Amino acid sequence: MSARDGVLARVRRAARHEVSHPGAFEPARMDSGWERFASTLHAVGGEPVGPVQSGDLSWALSELCADAGRVVMGPGVAQSLGPGPWEELPEGVSPQSLADVAVALLRGSIGVAENGAVALDGRHAPVRALPYLCERLILLLETSEIVPDMHQAIARMPPDATRFHHFYWISGPSKTADIEQTLVLGAHGPRSLAVVGIRDLQ
Amino acid sequence: MSELLDARAATLLPDGEPLRRHDAAVFDLRRRRDAAVAALPDFEALRTHAQAIKTHTLDYLDAYLERFESQAAAAGAVVHWAEDGAAHNDIVHGLLRERGVRRVVKSKSMLTEECGLNPYLEARDLEVVDTDLGERIVQLGQELPSHIVVPAVHRSRAEIGELFHVHMQTPSGESDPVRLTEYARRDLRPRFLAAEAGITGVNFAIAETGTIVVCTNEGNADLGMSLPPLHIASMGIEKVIPTLADLATFLRLLARSATGQPITAYTSLVTGPRAGGELHIVLVDNGRSRLLANSTHRSSLACIRCGACLNTCPVYRRAGGHAYGQAVAGPIGAVLAPALSSQAEGRRLPLASTLCGSCSAVCPVRIDLHGQLLAWRRTRAHAGAGERVLQRAAAVVLGRAALLRAAGALVRLCWPLLARRWPGNPLGVWLLGRQLPAHPGASFATRYRRLKGSKR
Amino acid sequence: MREPVVDVALFIPCYVDQLAPSVGLAALRVLEHVGCRVHYDPRQTCCGQPFINTGATREAARLARAHLALFEKADAVVCPSASCVSTVRHRYAELGLELGPDAQRLCARTFELGEFLVRELDRSELGSRFPHRVALLQSCHGLRELELGHPSERVYATRPEPGVTERLLRAVEGLELVWPERPDECCGFGGAFSVKFPEVSTRMGRDRVRALAATEAEYVTGSDVSCLLHLDGVARREGLGPRPIHLAEILASGLDG
Repeated sequence: MSARDGVLARVRRAARHEVSHPGAFEPARMDSGWERFASTLHAVGGEPVGPVQSGDLSWALSELCADAGRVVMGPGVAQSLGPGPWEELPEGVSPQSLADVAVALLRGSIGVAENGAVALDGRHAPVRALPYLCERLILLLETSEIVPDMHQAIARMPPDATRFHHFYWISGPSKTADIEQTLVLGAHGPRSLAVVGIRDLQ
Repeated sequence: MSELLDARAATLLPDGEPLRRHDAAVFDLRRRRDAAVAALPDFEALRTHAQAIKTHTLDYLDAYLERFESQAAAAGAVVHWAEDGAAHNDIVHGLLRERGVRRVVKSKSMLTEECGLNPYLEARDLEVVDTDLGERIVQLGQELPSHIVVPAVHRSRAEIGELFHVHMQTPSGESDPVRLTEYARRDLRPRFLAAEAGITGVNFAIAETGTIVVCTNEGNADLGMSLPPLHIASMGIEKVIPTLADLATFLRLLARSATGQPITAYTSLVTGPRAGGELHIVLVDNGRSRLLANSTHRSSLACIRCGACLNTCPVYRRAGGHAYGQAVAGPIGAVLAPALSSQAEGRRLPLASTLCGSCSAVCPVRIDLHGQLLAWRRTRAHAGAGERVLQRAAAVVLGRAALLRAAGALVRLCWPLLARRWPGNPLGVWLLGRQLPAHPGASFATRYRRLKGSKR
Repeated sequence: MREPVVDVALFIPCYVDQLAPSVGLAALRVLEHVGCRVHYDPRQTCCGQPFINTGATREAARLARAHLALFEKADAVVCPSASCVSTVRHRYAELGLELGPDAQRLCARTFELGEFLVRELDRSELGSRFPHRVALLQSCHGLRELELGHPSERVYATRPEPGVTERLLRAVEGLELVWPERPDECCGFGGAFSVKFPEVSTRMGRDRVRALAATEAEYVTGSDVSCLLHLDGVARREGLGPRPIHLAEILASGLDG
């Protein structure tokens, strides 16, 4: 008997097939405004910016990226921006070739007010390592895409989300407290994370 | 006598400053948890819901495992099954060997600790680098993690600085956590870029979609699974949950219970390999199906490894994780050890608790941890023949009022002798750090008789 | 005003009988003061807790059967030790005794002294007087299994009213109630734990004694004698900390007549 069949046979014998699934959880009502999202994001070490109008975005990002070094932007960002100190993410590059990226500018979707997380899916971060290799990560978030809690956030995930091969929830910058519980930002990935709220992102 | 949590054992956290620091650091996580969960008015309901999902899932685990397997395979992942830790290590090594892999980066996985993967691979000339900072510290120190969420919490900054100095040539005497973390980052970044395979654990596996979910704060797992072409994810079979919607419940509970964060910095859902890469998922039993068949103890499989029971446990905080002698320490470690550990020592661990119940009260999936410890004690696997005879005798004495009073009278008579420390004093163990109370005088029964007798 | 007479059976656990008889006397005094007719059967011994805690189920079951038989006729059983009450109320059902309805009722009608006064008799003001600064040690079984207070782990949707023990102490004239840091951290006794793992048990006790000493209380009180004995032992060794006094002894202080 294969290991698979052996394990499954034992599990089948042990499983009782009695208790049914409890169904959906009804969470307590909570606020889903930018203010709450921004304050949670701040609490987890992130930097809320804005919200701005899309017309002001270019200017806001120039500020954030000033003197940063190599700035790379992902799909769905370029159309919102004019020319600036940034390059578009080249197609078909190896993740290793992005090791020197200082700032990654990516289009996020779905903000979660209760935990400051922003969703980033495979379409907007085609090179999966990019948001972790950069020194600074900037995510753009349409403010109307903020939901109160994780239940609604997951319900909002596009039906084909799991077909992008990766789908991230990112809440604040990379952090560790492994040395005497002292919080240090930038353990491996981005040392800082800014989320730019936009009122009318196309 | 066993050396578990014993004063003579080198594995017990040293008294004094290390003890004080450890207790404070770990209890601080408990405090953060308290603050975080207090912000959720429906937190207790959420725990109940999570418990219900887990109970259901374990009840249909066969169906969910098959569903997960077929969905993961449909997404392009290769699913492997391992009966035990040895089989798991063998599968992982086989995958690495077939591809000529020499350098592996690994993120935190309690399962691979349980299986002893690192020593297995290292003995086969592979370079395995733990990339979680805490795991890296214990790897450099050649020891087990002492906590499932903060593996190096038993180490002081000075000790970590010294380890880094020896292994990474950092300046001697450097003990600033910010700078030490930066040194580790600089040491690990090239290793990530050069790695040929990444091994990660799995926090949740979603049957509905074949997705694995990995939660970290550092982002190390993400670098490990997105830079090298080969990603191997190891998971116990109990990690499966039914649907994506169920994930929300667990994500709301996990980080809040662990560290008081509303969610970990990175929650990564991976469905199938990335373009040009490979994803292999190893499903490991290693005693879990046997535990599932045990109706008294199956609920311990609901654990999501948040570490809240360790943080709140007054015994764990005073003993340190190494005193438990297992990959997983603390209350959940003591509950799992008799079922999953290969060491006989593990069977004594259910005794290592005062049954204060704080673990059960924090558990996000409502495992009755102290009830579980008590239930393991009922198997009496810990008790030798001598102890059984003594207990039988004690039960005879405590079962008869006349014998109890006679024994009490004898103890009263010998009180001054028993109160002193001398070799052979039957109360010697009590007196190690305590004294006897003042002489109690006549028993309650005697005084009651006098009191009521005089009135009548 | 005369209260209706309530018959109670006094359950004095073995170690209270032998090591802390004054607690039993105080409990008797308090119950009589509130108008109870108290019955004490000197044949009682041990509820079986030490055996349950070490998994000696057969020995425990024998003691449990004897205990239930002895108290068979009681309408309410009252005991000044929370962990023994929790044993009867919660653990007897796990011994495979096949408890009948009467036995189950008896288990449910076994009360810790404080909860009996507050929940059953609705009496929290007894007329006690104890002009001292007193720290409260919330014993774990009383707190988490009998819910004599509010465990710090729990999240409450609305702020609950004070627990049973706290209400009784607040009603004592002259008593100043203080809480140690980490108000429900275990003292480290744990029955067999205290002798199987004496080093860790003592470490826990020392930390509790230090936290209690920091409150500058003259006394530390609680509803479990065993925890107080352990703390007393540690405090004597360390030469530190407030003097232990059981809740019953405080409640019995300054009662008239």
